[in-house]
Amino acid sequence: MTIILSICVAVVFAVSLYLMTGRELKSIAMGVFLLGHAANLSIIAMSRTPVRHEPQLLKGAPILTSSFDPAHPMNSIVDPLPQALILTAIVIGFAVMAFLLSLLVLTSRKAGTLNLEQLGTVATQDD
Amino acid sequence: MTTSTTFWLLFCVLAPTLLGLATLWLPKKAITARTLLALLGPVLSFAILVQHLATHGVSSITAPVASPVVEWIPILHMNLSFMTDGLGGFFGLLVSGIGILIVLYARGYFGPDEASLYRFYPTLGFFTTAMMGIVLSDYLLVTVMFWELTSISSFLLIGWDRYDKHAVKLAMQAFFTTGLGGMFLMGGVLMLGYATGINHDEGLWRWSEVLTQGAARFNPSDPLIIAAFGLMLFGATTKSAQWPFHYWLPGAMAAPTPVSAYLHSATMVKAGVFLVGRMFPVFAVLQIWGNIIIPLGAFTMVLGALIALNQHDLKRIFAYTTVSQLGLLICMYGLGSLHYEGHPNIEWDITQIANHAFYKAPLFIIAGALGHYISRDITQLNGAFKKQPWMVITMLLGGYALAAGPGTISFPAKEFFLHAIYDAHESIGSWWMLLMAMAAITAMCNVAIFVRLLTTLMGWPGGMKPASGHGHDDHGAHGEHEHEHGFWAQLIWIPALVLVSLQYVGGLMPGLWSQWFAPLETNMYHFAEGVPGALHAFMHPGVPLYVSLVAIAAGVTVGLSGLMRGAIVDVHDRIYPAMYWLAVTGGGRAFRTIQTGRFRNYLVFVLLAFLAAYVAAMILDPAMMDVPPAESPFEFVPGVLLGVIICATSILMPIVQSRVVRVIILGSCGFSVVGMYLLYQAPDLALTQLMFEIISVILFVLVLRMLPDLKETDRASGRWWRFSLGTLTGLAIGWLTFISAQSGAEPKLGEFFAKNSYTGTPDTQGRGGGGHNIVNVTLVDFRGFDTLGEITVLSIAALGVFSLFPRRKPLPTELEFDDSVVRGATA
Repeated sequence: MTIILSICVAVVFAVSLYLMTGRELKSIAMGVFLLGHAANLSIIAMSRTPVRHEPQLLKGAPILTSSFDPAHPMNSIVDPLPQALILTAIVIGFAVMAFLLSLLVLTSRKAGTLNLEQLGTVATQDD
Repeated sequence: MTTSTTFWLLFCVLAPTLLGLATLWLPKKAITARTLLALLGPVLSFAILVQHLATHGVSSITAPVASPVVEWIPILHMNLSFMTDGLGGFFGLLVSGIGILIVLYARGYFGPDEASLYRFYPTLGFFTTAMMGIVLSDYLLVTVMFWELTSISSFLLIGWDRYDKHAVKLAMQAFFTTGLGGMFLMGGVLMLGYATGINHDEGLWRWSEVLTQGAARFNPSDPLIIAAFGLMLFGATTKSAQWPFHYWLPGAMAAPTPVSAYLHSATMVKAGVFLVGRMFPVFAVLQIWGNIIIPLGAFTMVLGALIALNQHDLKRIFAYTTVSQLGLLICMYGLGSLHYEGHPNIEWDITQIANHAFYKAPLFIIAGALGHYISRDITQLNGAFKKQPWMVITMLLGGYALAAGPGTISFPAKEFFLHAIYDAHESIGSWWMLLMAMAAITAMCNVAIFVRLLTTLMGWPGGMKPASGHGHDDHGAHGEHEHEHGFWAQLIWIPALVLVSLQYVGGLMPGLWSQWFAPLETNMYHFAEGVPGALHAFMHPGVPLYVSLVAIAAGVTVGLSGLMRGAIVDVHDRIYPAMYWLAVTGGGRAFRTIQTGRFRNYLVFVLLAFLAAYVAAMILDPAMMDVPPAESPFEFVPGVLLGVIICATSILMPIVQSRVVRVIILGSCGFSVVGMYLLYQAPDLALTQLMFEIISVILFVLVLRMLPDLKETDRASGRWWRFSLGTLTGLAIGWLTFISAQSGAEPKLGEFFAKNSYTGTPDTQGRGGGGHNIVNVTLVDFRGFDTLGEITVLSIAALGVFSLFPRRKPLPTELEFDDSVVRGATA
């Protein structure tokens, strides 16, 4: 399963960088969005969480079962720290996305283009 | 000694600043009261120091005693403790003593100029304190701190005339040069403390410890010790204007003359000599001590003397002779590391230092005074004796000491130096002849300068005459100030007479001089009984005396001849402007080259740097490219399917043209990631991601509706390099993810959170999070500040979006106002 996830990370990363090195602002925004996914997937892969074939939530079973040993909690549960970090990252990624998109709209309204090369010439004309 | 001793000495250091600041409360007109109050500062310092030395005696250099430590910043090894050994005590007396005279001289120099005196006394007090701090502090880092303060005060004083751009530039030049040296000094001190502390509990951070235990702890071939010494020496050479850093000292002559006489001849420039003298007892065992210091000092000495002879401005002449004399003092300590007849080859070093202060400061004082009344250009001063007899007499008395004529203390001091060179033949072979020739040239120049001064000022034949179209380069206060009258006017030359008379006390009454200085001196070997009188050298003729006589004869000849009468420009004056140009213009060019302002360039830079680091890591650790054992990827089919969807949707993204389809693809990619989170037993992540994914897709659709559907013209541009760069980086990061997920170690950082999320443990002082959802408790409790930051980012983004868009109902614009009403109101 780690192999699958690593391949996903590689592909998503490559595509997002391809989009971000482009000259079109919409593509760059999508690249930033994908980059967040790639980073989060990478963290969750590195947390070495074992994959459950039947996710317990769907069955309605409690996460903490009777096999939970308070002295050695990590024997029976997954590492919660990467999840907490990713949670923060998702929220911040969304905030950045929203701000980026509004800048995009505003730029296109003011400049009439979203091409970086053309934006450069627009700025010099304003000066 | 008790703690109160330390406080007394602290007051001794701080008194000039405190009383200098106190003068600010006096009314501007009260200049006499101001002078007297400012005078009290150095007087108090001097008195306290004399009293201290009388009570506790001069601390010996082999077993120095510092006053009890008063803790200030112990963790930085910066505490208050003062050491009054011969060198420090002498410098303390010199600084405060000349400080007294300079306060008086400034009153005569600035005359009734209230504004200047108002600013001058606090700044001068600040400098005096900094200098006293350097020479008395026992802790090395406190010395470094005061060292920097002298650079700052020197900067303030050189750039005294804030509206003179040239002076401000020269002030910057001095500040950067000496400040650079200060940085080196600090590095050296830190390295010394580290190197000496390696095999001990504590490094050596106090001069008293360095002097007592240094010899035992140093290994003279330890590269750390040598490097520490080299750095400290660099600091000393910039401060003491050794070649090639001597350029700042003549430049510093833009300062008012009281400053030149005080900082740039008698005290601050000697801080480097002081430092070398402090290091001398311990560091002279290093091989590089003599190898560096002797040639450096000797070259500076002869270069300064030759340039001095080719100057017209009095202050520049004396500035270059100061450079020369500083070179001599440094060279003297260098020669001291050589041994002669079983003892260090150095005699009465403190007398040497005092000798220079006692004639150079008077020369500057009179140069300023003559500049005030007549001119500072020597070619304009022909026959000045008739106009200002007392000033001219004082200057000639100082000039005679500069030439080291018999009857001054300067004469035996120069003889000591020549003897040291001659005696060095045992250690350095025939190199002594080169050194002797350099010393002879220096002496010749000094004699020639005195002869020029004598003939010119007296108006005798052979003196300098005004040249046609001479370059007038004094930037000083010449003709700027109103002349003072009466008693205070005489203060413009009386302090010089007081100081220069000490030269003749030493020359004519060597017994009295020896009585004063013997307790301060450490290095007395051949002349342990006292400084020899004027006749001693003639009674015991030898090579040094013959060299002196030849130098005097040559000096008189050159002085009277027409040789070297021009005013030359020192090539070293270009060093600083060149460096400045390089930093400003070169830096600007580099900035414009690197900072293109293009997003793509920055991204490519970052990615290439990442790839380079990755390749370097691969070369350093080839094992990281070994394939770790992994389970079969197909063990769990839903996971494989999700992975395929994520990859496929991503790859479709740049290929698909239609923007609506692109948004749908982006959404499906995100929802597959949600599924991935579920597989990895992260329900909180899945829920959050699901919510934000829905909002994001809606947002994208909205935004796309607002954007015009522009034809993308540049899709083909740079496709291949973008593809390869993206693929390489993606592969690298994917591989890193894979090997770290498969590595053997099992660091589960989350254990702490899992243990404490509901009930506490001793780790958290029994306090638990009180929640069953470990991720939630981690976010709001253990990593609460993270979450606070996250909320802040979210709010700022929301505020940003809100403020970027105009409101629904536009506010009335300016055009809708009646302009005329507004104009009428303002008019």
